[in-house]
Amino acid sequence: MNKLQIDIGSTYFKTNANGELNQYFRNFDISIYDDLQNKCSQLLSNYTKDEVSICSSANGGLSTLIIGVTTLFSLKYATNIAFNSGINIIDTILYSKIEEANTPTDVIDVVIVVGGIDGIKSKFDEKLINYLKDVNYQNIVYVGNKENRDFLNKNIDDLVILQNIIGDKLQVVEDELKEYLTNLYQADITGKEDIKKLYEITSNQIYSTPYIVNNALPKLKTLFDVADPFLVIDVGGATTDIHYSTDLVENKNIMTSSGYDRLVFKKLGVFKSRESLVFGAKSNEFVYELLDYLGVNEHILDEHSDEATVVLMQLAIFLVLYQVSKNHNDYVTLKLEILNSIVLTGGISKVLSDGDIDKIIKFFYKKILNYIEIPNIITDRNYEIWTLGIEEIYNAE
Amino acid sequence: MRVVTGVVGNDIHVVANRLIEISLKERGFEVFNLGVNTYLEEFIDAVIETDADLLLISSLNGEAEGWSRDLLFLKSRYDLDGVIFAIGGNLSVGEATQEELVPKYKAYGFDLVFHQVDLNEGLDSIEEALKANQKVEA
Repeated sequence: MNKLQIDIGSTYFKTNANGELNQYFRNFDISIYDDLQNKCSQLLSNYTKDEVSICSSANGGLSTLIIGVTTLFSLKYATNIAFNSGINIIDTILYSKIEEANTPTDVIDVVIVVGGIDGIKSKFDEKLINYLKDVNYQNIVYVGNKENRDFLNKNIDDLVILQNIIGDKLQVVEDELKEYLTNLYQADITGKEDIKKLYEITSNQIYSTPYIVNNALPKLKTLFDVADPFLVIDVGGATTDIHYSTDLVENKNIMTSSGYDRLVFKKLGVFKSRESLVFGAKSNEFVYELLDYLGVNEHILDEHSDEATVVLMQLAIFLVLYQVSKNHNDYVTLKLEILNSIVLTGGISKVLSDGDIDKIIKFFYKKILNYIEIPNIITDRNYEIWTLGIEEIYNAE
Repeated sequence: MRVVTGVVGNDIHVVANRLIEISLKERGFEVFNLGVNTYLEEFIDAVIETDADLLLISSLNGEAEGWSRDLLFLKSRYDLDGVIFAIGGNLSVGEATQEELVPKYKAYGFDLVFHQVDLNEGLDSIEEALKANQKVEA
């Protein structure tokens, strides 16, 4: 079948026309639709609306506030499900500390309330209701124990009640919340005026790009010589995503159905988030040694050149690995010493050479982990992960 | 009665852990077994999520001595009144007697301590303590 696939990113958009890939830098002065028409009108004219599939990570990002009764079960499970549904911005509140918690100043897209297995006493009381009075939110969903449903339903307007995400064996039950959040995320992306207009060129559902990538992971072995456990690093213009086998998780008390999780570094990108990437790099204790190792000095971070982009992308890889290593506690801790493969995808694959990637990963393993051997590195130079993910979804339909 | 159990710290004595689970179930407990290699924080959080009446930690190579020291601090973060905290197994590295170890583990925040005590004897004591606890609460 004649197929055209389009991925709209925050910095680039790319097209896959029956296997022929092209990438275009976005013109931020005009809408995505106009930009696509300007650059690809000839290409678009060759396809009917049902032959075009689109996914987007541009302008996405629901802000989410999760209120849970423990860190390692309710908050962890809900955060995990939110990330896997494509949500980027997440704040959490431990319910025992809710009276001391600050009220968010911005509008929250969705509040998630969770806690307790079914069959025990209620976990939430007036304290929650009082706190929520000052929070400006658009959606609220309760995924905690059954016993609390009536009280919360009576006291919270427009509350959506879904299946408890904590099962009777303390296992994660993700299906209903994942579907709800994925739909909200989809509605957010496709509701943006810029993206809505893209329905003029496709009759298919527009999906979020992280959702597409996560769908491809169980079948990654059909594309590359990749061995579990593996890590996929997607360095983009605004964010860097990692997708990883859950076998890598330190202190694992959660099993997701796919066996893969996603984590977003929301201010780690080489174009739109360049400033925060540079700030993060300068705050890292190893950065000057790293720049020296790469044969450059810190002035490169302020330059706008091809060489500077290469160094920034190498820094992004280093920072991501550093932040999920045992040296850093703010994010999930991954057992990088048992990692068998690292797969790099996204804009990075079009800029960095095998040598550039090899060099930075060798530095990380030697300097941070004291390892000479490094995992097998695979670079997805033709966006095959994205192509596989998008095909998986449309074939399933 | 609900009980959260598991093996604390970097300890993988899974056979004893399974035997404890089976014994507890035989006695009619609803068991949440977190398995081996479990951190103290996870035990406490599981007690909160399940409203457990009892936390029973096991340790077979003395690791508990190092891993249990934050128990009082972690208990202070939540309202855990009425929950019985018990620990059993081989609770010391090297030789030590029950008399030497009980005060140490009670100071860590455990209510019941069983060092090299027969499993059924220990569970009998736990059941008695739970009954007494119920009477106090009633």
